[in-house]
Amino acid sequence: MAYQNIFTQVQLRGELEAGVPLGPHNDERFGPFGTSWLMGKLGGAQLGPVYLGKLGIASLLSGFIAIEIMGLNMAASVNWDPVQFVRQFFWLALEPPAAKYGFTVGVPLNDGGWWIAAGFFLTASILLWWARTYVRAKELGMGTHVAWAFGSAIWLYLVLGFIRPMMMGSWAEAVPFGIFPHLDWTAAFSIRYGNLFYNPFHALSIAFLYGSTLLFAMHGATILAVGRYGGEREIEQITDRGTASERAALFWRWTMGWNATMESIHRWAWWFAVLTTLTGGIGILLTGTVVDNWFLWAVDHGFAREYPATGVVDPATLPGAPQ
Amino acid sequence: MKTLNKLVAIALPALLLAGCELGSKEQEQVGFRGTAMVQISDPDSKAKVGDIPAPPYELTAEMIAGDRASTAYENVPVLGNVSVDEFNYLMQAMTTWIAPDGSNVKDAGCTYCHNPENMASDEKYTKVVARKMLLMTQNINANWKPHFAGQGADQENAGVTCWTCHRGNPVPVNNWSSAVPDPSTITGNKRGGNTPAQTVAYASLNSDPFTDYLADKETIRVGGKEFPTAASKAAIQSTEKTYGLMMHMSQGLGVNCTFCHNSNNFAKWEDSRPQRVNAWYGIRMVRDTNNNYISALGDVWPANGKGAYGNRRGPHGDPLKVNCATCHQGVNKPLGGAKMLKDYPALKGAAPVAAPAPVVAAAPAPAETAAAAEAVKPAA
Amino acid sequence: MAVLSFERKYRVRGGTLIGGDLFDFWVGPFYVGFFGVTTAFFAALGTALIIYGAAIGDTWNPWLINIAPPDISYGLKLAPLKEGGLWQIVTICAVGAFCSWALREVEICRKLGIGYHVPAAFGMAIFAYVTLVVFRPLLMGAWGYGFPYGIFPHLDWVSNTGYQYLHFHYNPAHMLAVSFFFTTALALGLHGALVLSAVNPAKGETVKSPEYEDTFFRDLIGYSVGTLGIHRVGLLLAMNAGFWSAVCIIISGPFWSRGWPEWWTWWLNLPIWS
Repeated sequence: MAYQNIFTQVQLRGELEAGVPLGPHNDERFGPFGTSWLMGKLGGAQLGPVYLGKLGIASLLSGFIAIEIMGLNMAASVNWDPVQFVRQFFWLALEPPAAKYGFTVGVPLNDGGWWIAAGFFLTASILLWWARTYVRAKELGMGTHVAWAFGSAIWLYLVLGFIRPMMMGSWAEAVPFGIFPHLDWTAAFSIRYGNLFYNPFHALSIAFLYGSTLLFAMHGATILAVGRYGGEREIEQITDRGTASERAALFWRWTMGWNATMESIHRWAWWFAVLTTLTGGIGILLTGTVVDNWFLWAVDHGFAREYPATGVVDPATLPGAPQ
Repeated sequence: MKTLNKLVAIALPALLLAGCELGSKEQEQVGFRGTAMVQISDPDSKAKVGDIPAPPYELTAEMIAGDRASTAYENVPVLGNVSVDEFNYLMQAMTTWIAPDGSNVKDAGCTYCHNPENMASDEKYTKVVARKMLLMTQNINANWKPHFAGQGADQENAGVTCWTCHRGNPVPVNNWSSAVPDPSTITGNKRGGNTPAQTVAYASLNSDPFTDYLADKETIRVGGKEFPTAASKAAIQSTEKTYGLMMHMSQGLGVNCTFCHNSNNFAKWEDSRPQRVNAWYGIRMVRDTNNNYISALGDVWPANGKGAYGNRRGPHGDPLKVNCATCHQGVNKPLGGAKMLKDYPALKGAAPVAAPAPVVAAAPAPAETAAAAEAVKPAA
Repeated sequence: MAVLSFERKYRVRGGTLIGGDLFDFWVGPFYVGFFGVTTAFFAALGTALIIYGAAIGDTWNPWLINIAPPDISYGLKLAPLKEGGLWQIVTICAVGAFCSWALREVEICRKLGIGYHVPAAFGMAIFAYVTLVVFRPLLMGAWGYGFPYGIFPHLDWVSNTGYQYLHFHYNPAHMLAVSFFFTTALALGLHGALVLSAVNPAKGETVKSPEYEDTFFRDLIGYSVGTLGIHRVGLLLAMNAGFWSAVCIIISGPFWSRGWPEWWTWWLNLPIWS
């Protein structure tokens, strides 16, 4: 079969790249560390260099503390038994405080305080990392699009763990740390609030999520398909359109009647990804605060389907109903 | 390398399929087409009912009409009004149901409850329990018909016998007791859940969904009105507790959520199946049973380690109690719907005794007349 | 007109799979080809049938129009039109239209001299659709298992299908698929942002080169997958999302009928710790 441009057949090795020089008030980079043949089969083979920097180190440290708090709490919950820790790992959790504590900070450590602590360090880590994505771009004279895209994801994260619990006046509404427990939270959230499929922002978020997957399949495939014309050299194709961009655009124009350009496809990409978490965060934030039952809201707005009634009556409404 | 590839290509799918249920499934559509309200089960892995013991001998109308047991035996407050013949017949059946002769149960047979030198004596706690259980059985059969006798089913002989729960065991294999409270430290504190518990079908939900809902009478309903009100209460954590109870119910009956609900709107009764009404009465019936018959026995239940026949209490000290799986044992109609009660009229129970009688709703009306169900007087 | 400034030189004869020169032409910007004709046929017929289904249904509300599959009791037979037969024919039209679209894309690739990656990727999506409405119903023995064609009604199907297994989040293939979906969105956001940040630099700066893209990511995480690599990664992530979605639904019912949390007991009962 002909070469399909999925895995690199011949890997070149040259001098390891030190990277674009940084301005004077930056630290030294750390590395490069060599090459990886396995990574080179799919993409770049070079490992490193990495810019550590104050923001980066602070972020990693903060994140490490957060993970340690989560992991140690989980280990404590199984009486420090390493076998049970591994066996029950997917079920273990670090849970937020119970509803009785409202949204205060003075929650006993062993009664939800550790969750708040872990959440604090995780949030600090994420925000420090956000700053890192912003500063690294600025130091290279590049646009800050990565930081703003990341900001959309942080919006959803903050809504779930902080903003919505604050507006509901209860830490108990927040998501627990834990593999299966956070899935239980997700299901319970939908059950409690009348089926999240009927939340229009949830629907939008899913549309953008599936749309993102569709777009990356389309864009990734398109670039690989014109790899023989240097399609992956997107910056050069943007500033100086070559036959790769032309064929890529025409493929879509002839298929669906219109096309993007080598630059604008990346705008489609950016917006679809960003809108996934942006609308998702809005949908979560409106739940329980503005709308308490999305199915009933949908009935009220005329988009909930009625199926043939079953004739069943709520027995609690009958006179003399037992407790 | 080629051989290795071949081996992997054969072994890998085999390994992956090892955790699967292969073969055709039993299927039943229970909702409008396209709503995916379907019950699917694998005939090889679903619960089996097992053989139901036959009556000890034939109980004729003559035998039923004979002299009352209270004239022949002392200390028969519950079954005194039953004929001597029927009394003995029932006693024999009960030994088969609870502590069968020839089983490895200690003191199997009549002596499990009775002192053979003085059959009337209540010295063995098992006899006191058995008496309460007779009252409980009669209560269920007389006063909780809405749980199992709706939809025009044959109301006459629908009900339970001791076998329904016990199945030849002194303690039914499915029971529950309250979880030991979590310690106040983080060590060993699972916060009531986050454990692969069979009680909630191995989800990480709260592992004890029974204390609050099948003994206490906490509100199970979650889900609010369209817009939040000051009364909008149930938080995520209580929703998870309700979900845990529902997992138990599904597992206990061998059904899935669509057996009762259309999940597009769990709360709405008019979109739910009649089975949900059965479940609603079932929860109240279990509360009645647990509180007024099992817990009500109090100190009759020996402390753990002190009883002659093993533990009757959980780790927290409360007696072993009833949940959905106790009777249903993985089948949505216990015993597959077999009507044992027709052979044991003494268990049918009389007029309302202890618990208040639930009002029997009219059988669910067809869609056109679904306006309001009328209350019907309970059968005396 | 509908022709781009550079387009004319690419509008050449050839590349067709079937039909030769007969359908080798454009209508406006659209390439026709033999499969353009079949696409138009299936799409028009399917759409007309959906409109007919709405007409005999109870609503014209676009959110609520519902073309539902037959009852399970019909098994694999063709049901009466108004009892799910309509759904069955619409499904045939959909499969026909999707496959025609993919083959048309192949013809366009051949004409343009580019790789077949796009129709191959689309094939994965078609595979997922066919898994949902053909393979799984076939394995279960009834067309009634397909999802209804309706914007909100199909979500009711999703919800109930999930709850058939008590807690669908515990389905391991579903977990994989969800992870791939989220990672694809992440990677897309990063890739779009990276390219835009290079060609839309800070005020006063010149447009940057791929060396800057590599440097940014190496500074950030110590590794840059590169301009070609990111497109491979994106395509593979997206295809895996579709693939594992298909797997997660094909195993639900045909290969597992209990609650999905219960499936994990194989892990809990491993001999090393039980």
